[in-house]
Amino acid sequence: MKRLLSFFSNPRALSVTIGVIALLALSVVPTFSVKELHVELAAEALLEHGPKWFTNGLLTTLLVDIVIILMAVFAASRMKEIPGGWQNIMEMMVEGIWNLTQSIAGHGSANARKFFPWVMTIFIFVLISNYIGLLPGFGSIGVYHNGGGEHAQVELGSQLAMAGGEAVAVSAAAEEGKPVLVPLFRSPSADLNVTLALALISVFMTQFFGVQALGLAYFGKFFQNPIKRPMQAIVGFFELIAEISKIISFSFRLFGNVFAGEVVLLVMAFLVTFLLPSVFYGLELFIGFIQALVFMLLTLAFFTMATVSHDDHH
Amino acid sequence: MDALDKLGISWQLLLSQIINFSLLMVVLHLLLYKPVLKMLEQRRKRIADGLEQADKASRAAAEAEAEKQGILEEARREAQEVRAQATRDAERIAQDIRSRADQEAQDIRIKGQADAEAQTAAVMADARKQIADLAIAATEQILGRELANRDEQERFVDDYLAQQNGSGT
Repeated sequence: MKRLLSFFSNPRALSVTIGVIALLALSVVPTFSVKELHVELAAEALLEHGPKWFTNGLLTTLLVDIVIILMAVFAASRMKEIPGGWQNIMEMMVEGIWNLTQSIAGHGSANARKFFPWVMTIFIFVLISNYIGLLPGFGSIGVYHNGGGEHAQVELGSQLAMAGGEAVAVSAAAEEGKPVLVPLFRSPSADLNVTLALALISVFMTQFFGVQALGLAYFGKFFQNPIKRPMQAIVGFFELIAEISKIISFSFRLFGNVFAGEVVLLVMAFLVTFLLPSVFYGLELFIGFIQALVFMLLTLAFFTMATVSHDDHH
Repeated sequence: MDALDKLGISWQLLLSQIINFSLLMVVLHLLLYKPVLKMLEQRRKRIADGLEQADKASRAAAEAEAEKQGILEEARREAQEVRAQATRDAERIAQDIRSRADQEAQDIRIKGQADAEAQTAAVMADARKQIADLAIAATEQILGRELANRDEQERFVDDYLAQQNGSGT
């Protein structure tokens, strides 16, 4: 009791405690609480009667492109031998991935030089895609699509407040037949088109580098004469299935992690509007980085494995 | 195909994403990877050069230090030699001067002695002559006349004096 009293005599501790209690109390006030969950698995077309291909995922992909290119331009347009500020950060990232590429593909090897642009771009694209989805406004700023006439409503503000805004709008429009909010932005990593495209690129380039390094002998990994070498033929068949399933594992791993992360944030905001989601934001930052690293490292490992001769029976 | 549609997958979007990625890779390759890797390599080289230079400089400094020590040692030895030589020379010169001074003193003394002797002899001769004169004069006085053979007398007195002298008076 005495310790508790002395803790609250500290003005900072006292104000933090009051703030926490106030936020938690606000969370249960109906005006601020999120009343309806809307989770959409697929990227949605932004214009109700417009082209189907113009999705929020595509828009955000372009946004990510712009962000990445700006990052690159700011870092590398005036390269200085003594780096500072932004150049330092980008150099650190590029050098980190470059060293990783070299350590896996071989130091100073031609393979490392060939693989680097692919894995580096995968890393930076996935990382920014993952992180951009965490920005406030993603999933909460959007347009309402109605069965009938379109009345677009754009809400500005933080994700949490917007979630409240959505709830209000949803309840108000409930009579005229369930309009749904289509978010203006959607993390590219939470769009299966993007992750599947990356997976296809990764697996296709694996085959490409394999053939480039080993010639047609590369396909000996998958196809063997079943009469002469029945055992190898069976193993090759399984290898083929494994290769194809890489596409699915690559795309759904990234999609699943990021999409699930967004759903978790949404659910947490639904349960307790304030404070609780903040904890999960930290977790999502970590997952965003790890998934970018995993995608990049697996691609790099597959590239490297494809270029190594696997014919160890001779 | 229905399942793919539910997941929002369409080949147009897929293709657009593949193209997007490829373009992004090309752009980043030109804008970011090339300059950054070039810069990293350049910096690595520069640092290696710098380290090598520093190494070289420190080696040169050590060499210079050794050379300096050698020169100092040499100079010290030479100075030592010069000093020793100078000391020896000075001693010899002092010796010379001293011996010459001795010689001169000796000479002066001998000359002085000789002078003194000559003077004494002259004085003695003079004295003898005067005594003879006086003796003759006295004899003339006593005798009341002038001695006839004056030259003879003088020789006689001289002989006498010489004889006195010779017998140790």
